[in-house]
Amino acid sequence: MENKEIYERLNNVFRDVFDDESITVNENTTSDDIEDWDSLEHINLVVAVEQEFGMKFNMNEVTTMKNVGEMVDIIKSRI
Amino acid sequence: MGLTSIIFALFSIIVIVIYFITPKRFKWMVLLISSIFFLFYDNFSLYTIIQALVVLLSSYIFGLLIDKYKTTKKGNLFFLLGIGIILCLLLYLKYTNLFLTTLNHFCNLFNINYTFNLVYRNSLIGISYYSLIMISYLVDIKRGTCKAQKNIFKCMLFMSYFPILNSGPFIRYNDTKNDLYEGHKFNYYSFCSGLLRICFGFVKIMVISQRFAVIVDTIYGNLSSYSGIYILIAVLLFTLQLYSNFSGSIDIIMGISEIIGIKLPENFTSPLLSKTITEFWRNWHITLGAWLKDYIFYPLLKSNFMQSLNVRCKKIFGKKIGKKIPLYLSMFIMWILIGIWHGGAYTFIIGTGLLQFIYIFLEDILQPVALKINNKLKINTNSFIYRLYQNIRTYLLFSFSMIFFRASSVSNAIQIIKSIFKNHVTTGNKLFDLASKGGMLEFLIFIIAIFLVFIIEVLEKKGNVREKILKQNIVVRWFIIYAILFLIIIFGCYGPGYDPATFIYRQF
Repeated sequence: MENKEIYERLNNVFRDVFDDESITVNENTTSDDIEDWDSLEHINLVVAVEQEFGMKFNMNEVTTMKNVGEMVDIIKSRI
Repeated sequence: MGLTSIIFALFSIIVIVIYFITPKRFKWMVLLISSIFFLFYDNFSLYTIIQALVVLLSSYIFGLLIDKYKTTKKGNLFFLLGIGIILCLLLYLKYTNLFLTTLNHFCNLFNINYTFNLVYRNSLIGISYYSLIMISYLVDIKRGTCKAQKNIFKCMLFMSYFPILNSGPFIRYNDTKNDLYEGHKFNYYSFCSGLLRICFGFVKIMVISQRFAVIVDTIYGNLSSYSGIYILIAVLLFTLQLYSNFSGSIDIIMGISEIIGIKLPENFTSPLLSKTITEFWRNWHITLGAWLKDYIFYPLLKSNFMQSLNVRCKKIFGKKIGKKIPLYLSMFIMWILIGIWHGGAYTFIIGTGLLQFIYIFLEDILQPVALKINNKLKINTNSFIYRLYQNIRTYLLFSFSMIFFRASSVSNAIQIIKSIFKNHVTTGNKLFDLASKGGMLEFLIFIIAIFLVFIIEVLEKKGNVREKILKQNIVVRWFIIYAILFLIIIFGCYGPGYDPATFIYRQF
């Protein structure tokens, strides 16, 4: 899957989870850039991403991912 | 061995000197021997040796086995066994009385005429810390985040590194292992920075916390003699006493570690300046929160049960409300566990668990309402006054919950709350006498101490105070260090009535 397609699908997931149609993520996006992305919403986001791409993050990845770029790298390695 | 005792100061100096004169490859052994000495200093017996060995051997042996078998069935079994043994020992040593008290309540409830006698369990210092640290070690191996330590003595050092046994912080194997095992050379900057941090710790404990403790202990200890504003003052002061004591302990611990060259994670980032309880807990006892988030909250929320509950709730209540239900349920479980960790009594479960959950839950559900009210009344939420109001509100809410934390029982806590609303009469010492012990200067220092807590908070939030001091030239730098030392010697609270070994968080 191309990076572009992954980011397009990720944008939809982010917009859905955070109820904000204006969100556009890139590889450097972190939780600091999205107001509602706190530790409570993080798991909802992770699970929504898992469902979108039909893959699973392990617990270590869930707690150590630093930005969307790292999330995309993991997604690419699993699909 | 209290952190501000002479014996601990001597012990630390000896450890640091021996550490730096020992050849690099043996330095970790110095830390190991001193940690074992510290661990058993107050409590040396066959019983406590067995306690330590059970945790060490479970972590070491099952760590190696989990690493070998990873996610296979055998790996899962070893994982459950390792964690199970550590948890069972912790429950047995720390929570037997909680279990017995609950049984007694049930006996009462069903009119069964039997009372279980509470028991005293002799446990090692830091058991609540090293048990959770070793559980995280096993979980990290299982998750593939780290490799098991093959040297049992190095494993022992990770478990018992002496500075953290007193009041934390919680360390993770991957973050600390290199610092622990590789020998560090003496670094003058780290020495000055660490020393300064130790001095800050002493100021917080000896000059501030101990001063407040006299008033808090007197009022809490004579509830029949005080009421109204006196109780309120004790309740409000206790938060300052607790924070100065706990963060001062952490400063001493971090300072010693910094001198040795071992970086520990920060445990506080100006919590008293938080605008909400949610934010408060992000800045208070950070490493405990991070531990629970990574090892309880996230796995719980990501579990199949919570995910299917999520799907079902979304169908019934709609997306927005539906997704909150598993979240609140997980939060509730986590907060009760935080309460239990703080102590095997209902006072802790209510004070540091249930009430905090209720606060955070209310903050979350009332946030849209507050937003609407603020918009309608055109309140500038960025103004100084509004932020101050938020800080005060958070402080009051936290202080209220700490009534349970400080009280001897739940009924005692309720008595304290009732007493706040009684007439302002006292048959005990007047506040001025309590704070001043008869002298105007002492009363003035007491008032300055209150301001000092908040001044330190603001300065620490603005940037690293120590770094700024250490950038000054040698004369100014050492002048400041000496000035702080004199401050501790002259204005520190010593003598009868002050117990330097009383570290509030040490009991955990």
